[in-house]
Amino acid sequence: MSGQLINQIFLQVMTGLQLGAIYVLIALGLTLIFGTLGVVNFAHGALYMLGAYLAVNIANSIGFGWAIVVVPFVLFAFGIAMERGLIRFFYNRPHTDQILVTFGLAIVIQEVLKWIFGANNLPFSMPSWGSGIVRMHEWVPFLEGFVAYPKWRLILIAVSFATVFGVFALLQFTRFGLIIRAGMRDPDMMKFLGVNISRRFTIVFGLGALIAGIAGIFGGPVTQVDPEVGMHMLVPSFLVVVIGGMGSIPGAVLAGFLLGMALSFTAEYAAIQQIIIYLVAVVVLLVRPRGLFGQKGLME
Amino acid sequence: MSNFSTYLKPVLIFAAIILTMPFWFPFLGGYEGLDTKILIWAIFALGFDLLLGYTGYLSFGHAAFFGVSAYITGLMLLHFSDNIIPAMIASVIVTLIIALLIGLLTLKRSGIYFSILTLAFAEMFHSAALSMFQDWTGGDNGLTGIPTPMLFGLRMQDMTVYYFVAIIAIILFYVAIRISRSPFGIMLRAIKSNQHRLEFTGVNVYKYKVFAFVVSAFYATIAGSLMVIYEPYVASEFLDWSTSGHLVIMSVLGGVGTLFGPMFGAAFMLYFENVVSVPLGEQWLLALGLMFMMVVIFLPGGFVDGVRKLKRKFAAKEEA
Amino acid sequence: MTKEKTNNSADWSRRKVLKAGAASAVALSTPMFFTRNAWAEKEAIGNFPIKGSSVKFGFNVPQTGAYADEGADELRAYKLAVKHLNGGGGMLNTLKPSSLKGNGVLGKKVEYVTGDTQTNPDAARTAARRMIDRDGVIMYGGGSSSAVAIAQQYLAQEKGVVFMCGLTHSNDTTGKDKRRYGFRHFFNAYMSGKALGPILAKEYGKDRRAFHLTADYTWGHTQYQSIKEFTEKEGWTTVNNIMTPLKSTDFSQFLTSVLNSDADVLVLNHYGKNMINSLSQAVEFGMREMQKNGKQMEIVVPLYSRLMAQGAGAANIDGVFGSTNWNWTLQDEGSQAFVKAFVKEYGFPPSQAAHTCYVQTLLYANACEMAGTFYPPEVIKAMEDFEFEGTSPGKTLYRGADHQCFKDILVVKGKAPSKQSGKYDLLDIVSQAKREDVIYPADTFKGELGPYKPA
Repeated sequence: MSGQLINQIFLQVMTGLQLGAIYVLIALGLTLIFGTLGVVNFAHGALYMLGAYLAVNIANSIGFGWAIVVVPFVLFAFGIAMERGLIRFFYNRPHTDQILVTFGLAIVIQEVLKWIFGANNLPFSMPSWGSGIVRMHEWVPFLEGFVAYPKWRLILIAVSFATVFGVFALLQFTRFGLIIRAGMRDPDMMKFLGVNISRRFTIVFGLGALIAGIAGIFGGPVTQVDPEVGMHMLVPSFLVVVIGGMGSIPGAVLAGFLLGMALSFTAEYAAIQQIIIYLVAVVVLLVRPRGLFGQKGLME
Repeated sequence: MSNFSTYLKPVLIFAAIILTMPFWFPFLGGYEGLDTKILIWAIFALGFDLLLGYTGYLSFGHAAFFGVSAYITGLMLLHFSDNIIPAMIASVIVTLIIALLIGLLTLKRSGIYFSILTLAFAEMFHSAALSMFQDWTGGDNGLTGIPTPMLFGLRMQDMTVYYFVAIIAIILFYVAIRISRSPFGIMLRAIKSNQHRLEFTGVNVYKYKVFAFVVSAFYATIAGSLMVIYEPYVASEFLDWSTSGHLVIMSVLGGVGTLFGPMFGAAFMLYFENVVSVPLGEQWLLALGLMFMMVVIFLPGGFVDGVRKLKRKFAAKEEA
Repeated sequence: MTKEKTNNSADWSRRKVLKAGAASAVALSTPMFFTRNAWAEKEAIGNFPIKGSSVKFGFNVPQTGAYADEGADELRAYKLAVKHLNGGGGMLNTLKPSSLKGNGVLGKKVEYVTGDTQTNPDAARTAARRMIDRDGVIMYGGGSSSAVAIAQQYLAQEKGVVFMCGLTHSNDTTGKDKRRYGFRHFFNAYMSGKALGPILAKEYGKDRRAFHLTADYTWGHTQYQSIKEFTEKEGWTTVNNIMTPLKSTDFSQFLTSVLNSDADVLVLNHYGKNMINSLSQAVEFGMREMQKNGKQMEIVVPLYSRLMAQGAGAANIDGVFGSTNWNWTLQDEGSQAFVKAFVKEYGFPPSQAAHTCYVQTLLYANACEMAGTFYPPEVIKAMEDFEFEGTSPGKTLYRGADHQCFKDILVVKGKAPSKQSGKYDLLDIVSQAKREDVIYPADTFKGELGPYKPA
């Protein structure tokens, strides 16, 4: 392989990872919430947006470092409040009602943000420790010549991987995670065993919101912060969850990064680029409705 | 004989209201052009209710039919003939074929997947119109330069368009009522209440669902076509998810499953957007969003249900 | 049984009454519909004739969306124009020939209504229709996106209400989509290309390979075509072009393609927020520091404004070439009169968007005065082939064949932060391209104006 070609593929892979990173984080939260509570949260994009707006305001006033500390907690609390205050009344209602109420919430959040901050985007610049380029050719052995990549986007990829790993570790290696995994399989059994599964699930909802908040902090400077960004990120994220398999975490992660790769490698073919995700989603849903890693029979 | 009055009474009341609308609407702050738009969205919402209200399937993709029909009508007027009849016929044929295909594919899945899939299809059409087909659709510009639509020598402008749309609305409302009170309509409601049980009795549920979907798409198609006749311009926004979203909001606000409710919801939403927005400003959608949530949480039957409850309260008070 | 019968007869008479009522309602409305036109001596077109002692203008600008910054400035300029029309001042003192007296237009006080185009053609048309149908405007203007301008021009032609374009740079606006009821003062992509080509070749050499990123709509397409045409004439090679969706905020995948190619010049056919993001991200990806083909990698933004330069940040815009319709540092009489009045009113200098909107409003009012009426076909005729001065350097011609203004335009370069003499001094005027060098024959672009009466 020529050095040029390796460079090119490397760059496109990096861009693919970085594009997928945000979708992975949002899809992760969506699939966690669906896998545990069975709720399709149409307001999840709005949670991402809330995270981004909070982050930009904190960063511009007291500093970016504070944003990283504060936003996840605020979003976690908001998620819990949302579940306890609104969503839990809808468990016994038809699925369409759940979709409707979260859709309504998404619109309300969007409009409130528009009201407070205006319809234009808030400039969100990277902190000084995160800006600039990384001379990739100094780190990666097989690259030739001058290959640079923006530092912030590398940070985004790292954060995404770290979060995924964190969630995985939580689920695999902790008692809490064990209960959650069991509850995803059979929530009624857990109740019979005397485990307060609904309290655990509330925490999962908060966790999903927290992850969306993290995505907002690190993705905000990349996607820009405006009232439309919530819905803009939600539709592809939904499709990522569907392609990966509803309720499957490895599925969401894999599908998210695959989407990023698809977008990156088709960048030059504008026509296909725009519709590729929809085509893939439709094909997957028709051929293998449970998605890549979904459980058979669940939501078919 | 009594059937006559149950069908005709609501239709006549409806006809009376909308045929006289241009006269009383300005007193409410409405203006010419807005009333036509309200009727078009009312037709759109009526069809949507036949799907959501009766089968319980929530489609987030009806913008696809509205938009595709609008584009075809526009293209026919632009390239073929400025007579609206061939344009409308072409729109109906093409859009219904697409609706049939989409319905056959998406209705195999459950409600949630159906909602997501319809959203995906609509977004696909939207992106395609902006990129792949932009030579035909005009891309972001929209479809411009459409000549004044004609109905055999009658220029479709102002009042003429309004009454044309009004007559179609009256006919379609009548059809909707007949469908809802027919055995077919009852079947649809059975699907909504318990699909699986119905299947066990040997009914081909899938067939009914697809048929309902196509009928619903038909209304969207007519609405999209009329939209271009009213305003000779097709915006790429017609295919945007927000068009589907607004449809959902107005139907729920009005009262899903009541046929009249969503039409009222359409009038309410458009009135709110164009008339109330002047003193209220940019926040009209916030107000509507909040109302929407209140309705979903506390009054799922919408405005119509609210009126019914009030009537019952007054009746109870009278008796007491 | 008997109950049914009585119900039926009640039903029948109710139906009869309702039917009769509906029929008479329709009948009553028709005379009003057909005789409305019989009132004025000149037939009614659009919102002419005007009743009352005031005349209404409509200003439809992007208050939200990608071009919102320009929109805010446009609105400021419009308000200033109305103030001057009603009370004198500003360019009323410099415009020649002028029939404006500073007491309104044809004795009527000027009032205005505003709308939000949301940088979106559909919203723009809806707002415009509201202004025409509900508010009764005699003229409307504004807009910062060519798609929006073109949609409104078509509406203007349908409704018989003149549309004075705001900021629209696409060739199509006075090219294939030209309309009799639309007028554009701002320059277009073709003129930018003609002015920039030779200067870019002189500055960067003739042996350059350019990669274009283009906003995927009418303006982007025409600017790409024009820049490509004029740079290739100088010897450049166009390596590739990617159409980027107008709503994009993250251009990383496109920039990666640019890096992966052998291009050594990046041309950004982007405006507003698109440009602010794409330029900042291009710099983020290290393109200012890179060497390709043994040359320094360069970035060109063929159309940008001081507002966008502010948004992108001085460090990013340093040394970037582009073109503008006007700049507040110009020293001719008309420009300075406008700048002084604007600064006095708002505390900061106007952008090119503000300038063009202000001039357009004055030109329309002046045309009404010259024609002696608001009757649209006469006003349109008064503007066609009108040559004037006192609004920008040199003489400007409003060509009748395509309703496009021709004047001197500017080639600019971003200033390094160290060289700026103030917060608003962001652009260096490299050269002033003369009108005769940028003008082109009227048949360069297809399209027809259409009739004087609304179609």
